[in-house]
Parts: sequence; C-alpha cells; structure tokens
Amino acid sequence: MIAYTVPLFLRGRVISDDLVPFDTRVGAAQFQAPDMSKYVERLPLKSPAEMSDLYDLSFDEILDVLEALGDALDFDTNTHLQEAYEASLVANVLPPAMTHNSYRILRPLFSRDNVYEIADSQVGLDYLNGWVSHTLRDGRELRVRAFGSRVLHIPAGNGGLVSAVTILRSVITRSDVIIKAPSNDPLTAVAIARTMVDLDPDHPLTKHLSVAYWKGGDLAVEEILYQPQHIEKIVAWGGLASVKHVTRYIQPGLELIALDPKRSATIIGHEAFDDEATMREVARRAATDIGVANQEGCANARVIYVLSGTDADGLAQANRLGELIYQELMSLPAVISTPPRYPNRELLDHLEASRMTEDFYRVIGGEQCEGAIVVSQFDEPVDYSPMLSGRVANIVPVDSIDKVTAAVNAYTQTIGIYPESLKRRLRDTLPLFGAQRLTSLGYACNVAIAAPQDAIEPIRRMCKWVVDEECDAGVVIPLWRLTPA
Amino acid sequence: MTATEKTARSVIEFMDDPISFFGQSFTQMHSISRDELEAMQREAMGIRFQQHCESIEMLRKLADRLGITALNEFNDVTPLFFSHTAFKSYPGALVDKKRFDLMTKWLDKLTSYDLSDVDTTGCAGIDDWIDRLDEQTPLEVITSSGTTGTISILPKDKRGARDGMTLWKICLFQTFGKEPTEAELNPVVDVVWPNFANGKLGHLRIANMIKRGFTGGDESKFHALYPFAVDTDLMFLASKMRAAASRGELDRLEIDPVLAARKDEFIAMQARQAQDLDAFFTRMTEQLRGKRVFMTSAFHLMYDIAKAGLDRGVRNVFAPDSAILTGGGMKGVVLPDDFMEVIKDFLGVDRIQVGYGFSESSTFHWGCSEGRYHVAPWVIPFVLDPETSEPLPRTGVQTGRAAVYDILLRAHWGGVISGDEVTINWDLQCPCGQSSVAFEKDIMRYSEKRGIEDDRITCAATHEVHNEAVNFMKGVDL
Repeated sequence: MIAYTVPLFLRGRVISDDLVPFDTRVGAAQFQAPDMSKYVERLPLKSPAEMSDLYDLSFDEILDVLEALGDALDFDTNTHLQEAYEASLVANVLPPAMTHNSYRILRPLFSRDNVYEIADSQVGLDYLNGWVSHTLRDGRELRVRAFGSRVLHIPAGNGGLVSAVTILRSVITRSDVIIKAPSNDPLTAVAIARTMVDLDPDHPLTKHLSVAYWKGGDLAVEEILYQPQHIEKIVAWGGLASVKHVTRYIQPGLELIALDPKRSATIIGHEAFDDEATMREVARRAATDIGVANQEGCANARVIYVLSGTDADGLAQANRLGELIYQELMSLPAVISTPPRYPNRELLDHLEASRMTEDFYRVIGGEQCEGAIVVSQFDEPVDYSPMLSGRVANIVPVDSIDKVTAAVNAYTQTIGIYPESLKRRLRDTLPLFGAQRLTSLGYACNVAIAAPQDAIEPIRRMCKWVVDEECDAGVVIPLWRLTPA
Repeated sequence: MTATEKTARSVIEFMDDPISFFGQSFTQMHSISRDELEAMQREAMGIRFQQHCESIEMLRKLADRLGITALNEFNDVTPLFFSHTAFKSYPGALVDKKRFDLMTKWLDKLTSYDLSDVDTTGCAGIDDWIDRLDEQTPLEVITSSGTTGTISILPKDKRGARDGMTLWKICLFQTFGKEPTEAELNPVVDVVWPNFANGKLGHLRIANMIKRGFTGGDESKFHALYPFAVDTDLMFLASKMRAAASRGELDRLEIDPVLAARKDEFIAMQARQAQDLDAFFTRMTEQLRGKRVFMTSAFHLMYDIAKAGLDRGVRNVFAPDSAILTGGGMKGVVLPDDFMEVIKDFLGVDRIQVGYGFSESSTFHWGCSEGRYHVAPWVIPFVLDPETSEPLPRTGVQTGRAAVYDILLRAHWGGVISGDEVTINWDLQCPCGQSSVAFEKDIMRYSEKRGIEDDRITCAATHEVHNEAVNFMKGVDL
C-alpha cells in the first residue's frame, strides 16, 4: 500500500512524476517519490554565479521572509504541515501527540528575535552582511566576509525540527541548498518549502531550495550529485552507516560537516540524596532526560552515573533513586513521553535476562514495554548499554568520578549533570575525554539552536570565509623590495 | 504392572533416554503417531519442569514471579522461554576482573547441577575456567560469541554431548524407512573437518566427540584444516573489540596480560594458515581420495573448498556413500544458485544432508527428501508471534519466531526462543513419510530480514573474527 508521496521540490516547482515505490522504516507501508536518477542533473545550480541574487537581499528582508514563513507554519491552517504530520505517523516511531507537538515549535523557531540571535551569535551579522575589516600588525587591511555555499543536507528525521533548522541555517548563510528528505520525516522539509512558494514562488530564497528523496547510498544519484563542481559541502546527520557512506565522496573541494551518531550520559552527585524533596526533584529531571521523545534522540539520558557509592547504603540509595525515576518517567505527560510504539525486542530480551540476574542488576518496571530502569548493583553499566532506547535507562552507582570520566569518549554528546557545583568541577576535564555539551540535569533534550552543536559550529562551517586584503606598499613591506640578508 | 505404571515408566524413558526408547532407530523416531507423541511430550514437559524448578534457580524465580506452578498444555511453557540473552546476562566485567568465582555463581543459577564446590582459584581466563568446570562438574560448557562485548555461556553437560554424538550418527548414517544395521550404528570413517581442530565454541567443542565417535577410536582419521584450537579468551577479546569499536572506545580497550603474553603464538598460528590450507587440500585430494568420509561445515565454507578444488581440476573426491552435513545461515554470503551442485560435483557424493538447530538445543533437526527439517520427537516446536512472543495456533500454516521446548536437556532449562523466522505447516503429513512435525525449508534470522546488525558471530565467521583479534593485538604495543 502506498501511504503517501514525497514530491520533488525543485527550486520552487513541485514535481510528482516518474514515481517509484520505497519501503518505510516502520511497518509494511510504502511511499512513492520521483525516480531521482531522472532528475538528479537538474538538482545542482547550473552556475555559481546564480547565487548572486542572494546577495541582493538585505538581512532585514531575510528576517521578514522567515517571520512570514513562521507565521504561515501554523499547524491548524497549513495543509502542507498537516500532510507532513500524517506521513510522519506512518514513517516515524513517535506517537501522534508528540509528532503533533513538534510542529508547534516551528513558528517560534522562525521568529525575528530567534533568527537574529542565531545568526548573530553563531556567525556574526557583520560577517554575513558585508566585509568586516581590521588592520593586522604588519599594516595590511584585512576584510573578511562569510559567504554561503552550495550545500547538501542529509538531516536526521527524528522530529520535524531538524528539517526546519536546516532550512533556517541555509537561509541565513545565503546558501544554495539541496535537502535529502529523511525517510522517517519525509514531508516536513517539503511542507516548509511549499509554504515558501505560497508566500512568494519567485523569491530568491525559494529558488535556492530543493528537497528530494532518494535511498541513501543510491549510486545513480549520489555519484552524479556528490561532486565538487555541484556542491561544496555536505552536512550529514545521523547514524554511523549513513555518515560513513558519504565519506567516500569527500575530496578536495567537497567538505563533510558531520553531525554524526552520539550518545549522551548523565552524572548525579551525592547531593541528590540530601533529602527526600531533592531526590524527587532529581528523579523528575532525570526522568525527563530519559523520556523526552521516547529516548529516540542522541541527547537523551541512557546511562546515569550516580555518585552514591557502591557499599550497601550506596546501593540502597541508587535503588531508591531508580524507583523514583521510574515513577516520574511513568507520570510524564503524553506530549513529552509515552511507552514506545515499537519497542526493541532484543533490548527487552536483555532486560528480562538482567531481571533474572539479581546479584548484579535490579530491574524496575519494563514488563509491559512501558520503559524501565535497570540499576546496576556494582559500578559498571549493562553490557547492552548502546541499545538503550524506548525509555530504558541504566543507573550505575560509582564510588568516584574517575569511573565516569573513563566512560566519556569521542561519541559522547550531552552530559546532564546535577548539581551545578559538580558540573563546574567537571567542565574542564570532561571535554578532554570527548564530552561536547554539559547541561543542567533535566535539560538534556532542551537544545538551544543558538549554540555550537556536537563541539563544532555548523553554521560557521557552512560558510566560506573569504578574505580581501589591501596592502599599501608604503606600509606592508613588499617582498619585491626585500634585500638578501 | 498396570497400564498406568507402564506408561509412567515409558514416559521417563522417553524423556531421559529417548535413544533407547526409539531403539536407536531414526525411522522409529519419526514414525510415532502425533497423538501418542504429544501426550508423552506434555507429560514429560510437566515432569521436567518440576525437576528444573527445584534445581535451576533462575527458572524457579521466573516461574514464581509469573505464578506458574505446573505445565499441562504446550502453550503453558511459552511465558517461561529463555531468550539467548539469559546465557550472557553476567556482567562482562567479571571476566576482565577474573572473578570466575562469581561467574561460577552466576552459572550455578542457570544449571541443574550444583556448582557450589567448584574451585576457581587462580583461574587465568575463560578457557581455564571452562576446563575447571569440565574437570570438577558434569558440565561441558559451550560458548558462542557475540558483538555486545560478552559471549554466551551455555551449561551443556557431558551426558548431553555423548547423546548428541550418538544422535548425529543415527541421523547421518541411517535412512528413513530402514532399521539400522550394525555398520550404521557404529560407522568408522575418516572425518574431514574444515575448521579449527578444537575450541569451546559450540561447533568446535563437538570436534572432540566426532574425533572419538566417528573414527572407531583412531584419531589419525581426524583431519582438521587448522591443527590448533580457537582460544575462547581471544574470541572474548574479539567480541569486546567489536563492542568497543561501536562505542568509539577502541583506545580504551585493555588486553588481558595473560592473553597479551601469547601474542607471538597467535601471530605464528595466523601466519601458518595459508600453509595449513594447502596441506589440508593435499590431504583431502590425495590421502583421502575415494574414501568414505564424514565431512561437515557451513554452506559457504563447503562451497569455497569445492570451488577451489574444481578450479584445480579435482572432482569426485570421496566415496559416494560418504556422509556430508551442512547448514547454517547465509548472512552476508552470496552463493550462486547452483552452489549445492558445485559442492556435490567436487565431493562426488550421492547425498548432502542439511540440518537446522541452534546451540541451545540438544540436536539438529534433519532435512528430509522434501527439504523440510523434521523436529526430533523430544523437542516441542512453537511458532511465536515475532513481536509479542505469544504462541500462534498449532494448526494450519504458521510463520513466526521459532521457539522450542527441548525435553532432553537436563543441564539447563529447555525452553528457548530463537532469532529465526520459521514456517510450520501443522496439518501436513510430509510426503517423505516421516510422521513428525517439520520446519519448512526457508529459515531466516530476523536480524538478517530486517537488515540490522546481528549480535552473533556465526560459526562461519569464526576464522575472520579470530584474525581480527590477532590483527588488533599486532597493532597494539603490548
């Protein structure tokens, strides 16, 4: 059964011809999309010179367009978004209430103040809108400007936000952008693009946007498109496999900006056990970090290190905290978290095995696939920790922080920490091991866009930082006048 | 003796010594009427459950938690099935820290035998620990290797291994419809073993049994490809490596000093492999030419050897009445459609037998002339809903996840869920003549079907994984 169609959005035109079927990631449904081997040659910009119209736009006009776009991305009235939502219900593992909610945050994302803050803090408006000059020590005048690039985005599909952020980043950098629609969020990018057409089909920002679906790894598309003469940068989100297969196309002139797979961790200090009220507060925050969007994201809490100690008292505290976190997890509202629609079978088998291994693990909940807390009864995480998902987390009691730093590595993205004093103590050491973002417990999935991501600055990286130097031969000593020493 | 007493005694014989119960006859095993068999299976399952509830702590606790006190109908057992994860639920850190006392304590809760007196003092590694268990207990543990950083430890026993070997002989050398001859019951053949000579992995542990059981006691008739054993601790390292790589932690992986000290030995073994392969080939095509042999290996290894032989112009190597057994998954392996013909052409045999099973069970289920895998009579098969694990009806054609309750398993609980998608036509009387229930030919691992990474290093990949670990050691300053 064909559940929906992902049209090709080609620089303002919507094309639904030459349709071929594809499997969805979830269940038996299929969808259809134009056969991109027939269109791939029309995707890239014919000449880089065609980007000049983006530079006729003032930043004010860009803010106007995005604000109007935000206003038009009103879920109740925007039929494109409603269609995207319907498709997501088939294509994505998230339950309806949560998917619905993810479309509510689009409007504030594109608000004037928000876009301004992102552009100014993550690139610098001066650099985006003109040449920024300063004089170097040798006397030359240096002028730097951040130009947009011809960029291909491979966004993640866990929620519509990533597609929206992708478009926002491209627009503020005045880039020419091709988005490869994610199969688990197939229509959000197209919906935003179609809304732009509704507002102004001929606007340069509309004309520099394309959205297409092809199966990741389809050589008939990728070998033609992923060439330095067509695109300069690829921004790839997502799993190890999808990022890895892009790397084969990377060569001089074609750069990869990898927002690759990450895992996150949580550290809870002994202060959590000061009193009952604090413990409840900590449990609520930890449960939130675990539960948001059903633990599908890379920022979610999975392994939670607790500085409770591993003696009998310490274990009792860790177990008690586990009970409280489980209770809080179960009482999260449905727009935030629900039992997973498609629990991981293999994980549940491990969970049941741990439940039977009482000497080493205590499993709280999980019998109805509703989520569970596994409390290790010694200072090691479960061996299946990379599989943790669908609201299953592992509490690991430790005697000292060294045990935790050993578990932080280059794949570690967010670390939620309680209390703040512990975070300050750790913030100069954890990054050495690989941590990329430290945040207050409870805010792991409350991600700011106006901040570096995965320890890089993706928006700056999307730009080409071009230099204009002016050298006055009277000031900057010319090489041709150098005399032999 | 009353009729009831007679039935009671025969059920005990059926469950404890099915080989004698069926007179060592493959034909009898697969000729018993379904009604009669199922009645015995139900009763035997109930008895075994009571025994195992007494003796296996993990089963007892699970049954207590679920409030199950007796098994009367087949489906009563399904909530009690163990997944493969039950046999690797120990923390991997115990091995790293050489806490084999705690490993023993863990295993004690999974087996019906009492392991409380096992002495693990000074145990150097997994192989050493398993050797101690071999010496001090009725167990003959087998391992299987995975990629989550741990390996499965299956508490098999020596008695089961012996029975298993006898069953192999029964299934391999007998023909359905004919009562066994003396020669079929005690065959003496050369054994061609295109694999490592030994090891604790399920498919290697059996090598020692075959070496004794098939050659009439003449061990010179056993011809292994590689003359050395696969080291379990090295396989454990390989499993940890894969897990560490997936977590970006390869730089943190520490190699146990005991294993590290043997680095040169492993490298030397690896360096000899090409030479070993040549020697093996020569032995097969010269010394064993025209002889009746028993050879077993996974599909793709068998094919590789056959192809290499045919390329060298060698064909019809063995006597036509040789016993050849193959099977195993096809994951990651692309073989041409005619691969069985290629194998047959090289080996020169009349028939190639195939079997289906998993390491938790007591035996393979043998392929019939129709290509179905007939379930051994002491094994109760189930087809489960792959998502909910609820049993599907035992009528009509059902496709789902395979599970079995294996009555013959004494050392560990016999209820296990597999990772395989199978089909059973419950109403079928197979045209091959066997009365038993059968799995249809097409069997696939769910992980393979969904295109996801499998947490299992198949027997076919042993060689590759072994090399991976040795290569890793080469690259590390030890």
